[in-house]
Amino acid sequence: MTTTTPAIVTRDLTKSYGAATILHPLTITIPRGEVFGFLGHNGAGKTTTIRLLTTLLAPSAGQASVAGHDLATDPMALRAAIGYLPENVRLYDRFTTQENLVFFGRLSGLSDVEDRVADTLAFLGIEALADRRVGTFSKGMRQRVGLAQAILHRPELLFLDEPTSGLDPMGVRLLREIVARLHASGMTIFMNTHLLSEVALTCTSIGVLAQGRLVYHDRMEAVTAKYGDERALEDLYLGVGLSEVTA
Amino acid sequence: MTPASIVAAQSLAALLRERTVLLIAGIFTAMVLVSAWMGWSATATVNGIYADAVIYLQSIGQPVPANPLGQTSALGVLRNLTVYVSLIGTFAAIVTGQRLIEADRRAGVLPLIAARPPARMTYVAGKMQALALATAALVTLAAVISGLTLVLLPAIAVTAGEWLRLGGFFLLSWAYVTLFGMVALGAAARIPATAGGLLAATILWLAVTFVLPALTGNVNPTAAINPISALVATPETPVFTILGTVLGPVSLSEAYAYLAAGLMGYLPAGLVPRGVVPPFLSLIVLVAAALVFALRSGLALDPNAGGPDA
Repeated sequence: MTTTTPAIVTRDLTKSYGAATILHPLTITIPRGEVFGFLGHNGAGKTTTIRLLTTLLAPSAGQASVAGHDLATDPMALRAAIGYLPENVRLYDRFTTQENLVFFGRLSGLSDVEDRVADTLAFLGIEALADRRVGTFSKGMRQRVGLAQAILHRPELLFLDEPTSGLDPMGVRLLREIVARLHASGMTIFMNTHLLSEVALTCTSIGVLAQGRLVYHDRMEAVTAKYGDERALEDLYLGVGLSEVTA
Repeated sequence: MTPASIVAAQSLAALLRERTVLLIAGIFTAMVLVSAWMGWSATATVNGIYADAVIYLQSIGQPVPANPLGQTSALGVLRNLTVYVSLIGTFAAIVTGQRLIEADRRAGVLPLIAARPPARMTYVAGKMQALALATAALVTLAAVISGLTLVLLPAIAVTAGEWLRLGGFFLLSWAYVTLFGMVALGAAARIPATAGGLLAATILWLAVTFVLPALTGNVNPTAAINPISALVATPETPVFTILGTVLGPVSLSEAYAYLAAGLMGYLPAGLVPRGVVPPFLSLIVLVAAALVFALRSGLALDPNAGGPDA
């Protein structure tokens, strides 16, 4: 694997449950260093895609390579190279932030786990939460601790599933700043969202998923050049999505 | 630490913060203490009567017979332990096994664990290790209380062989309760609904403890958990003979009661076990089956199913 290997390559990646196809053959390449915004209505198949790429679900057909590791043949190395923050992360309520992170750090095979936890908490500006029980946290605080467990082992590629869901405006802004800093550090980020404002402010490329089909994929500069401001992006999103829904 | 040990250590730490698990473990310990007190009380009563009888018999010049306690197994004073192991010990193991999986599911950490390098097998092995250690701790606590009771009881001399058999009884009890814990762990892994795993394992436990003895030996539910009345021969009717032969090998609570009585020295002379399979073999096979069930269910665990928002 080289640093020129794309972060994600999928070919006809498909997920079906019986006769119902949740994700139609998805073929996409996402280069390293991108902040990829994966847009789509609720139920479009965004979470299914993330679960497939993080090995939480087995594909029905197709192939994928994540961080240079094949999904089917090298899942352990793949997992070691990624971080994952699911929507509505909870963690162990009766444990402190520190205890939660030490556990996940050890599972990731970190030998210097205490130092990594301290560094990660400092990076996210949540040192004060270290010795507090997670069960007492607000949604925003949990989200940041959840993000801490996702980046604790310095993954090459970070998957965020609706990271701003349920956050107040301050929480959304904080998360945006953190994503920007992670991107600046060289991390590739794959972010599911349906918040267009976040995409416009954060992402370097976008894909639009409608009813399990990738219906649009381009770099953000191209989107901006073609559609102009955020309102035009909204028109693109709704137009592409709705035309699929009503097709 | 190996990844499985990391999972086991975290699971045990989480169990120690679970009120339900601690409550049931506390009740089990309390009942073991009650059992020890009952053994001590019964022994003290017999000794008191014997001492009075000795004085009286000597006063009238009659020969003094030996203390009846010396004629029975010293371990027999702890026979009530089998009731508490069968009832509360197994239920504590069931709750523990279910919580080991369900706590992770409710905390929403299954996807976080499954998206990390350790294989699913490692996670399951860690959970099974945690369960085995938790039940071992519970049984060890009962063993310590029982051992102290025997040491402190007057007029009871426990031989080295009896200490060994007592150790064997607690090993047997550990295997017995762990079996149910493994079933609960496996059921919780297979059934994402919060109470599903608990209910499935509890129904199995109820069937094994109360229903099977009724079918194999016409033992009523209350008698089924009594260490003495459960030990009866199969009624000599065609129905019980057939059912005893067919269901005997899977009638776990009867196998446990039979083996426990044998180890503790109060097995009625001439009582034969039900079925054609020796109880020890039955227990070994069913423990192995429970381990395989827990392992296979753990490997089939869907990290995306259920969870905090389900």
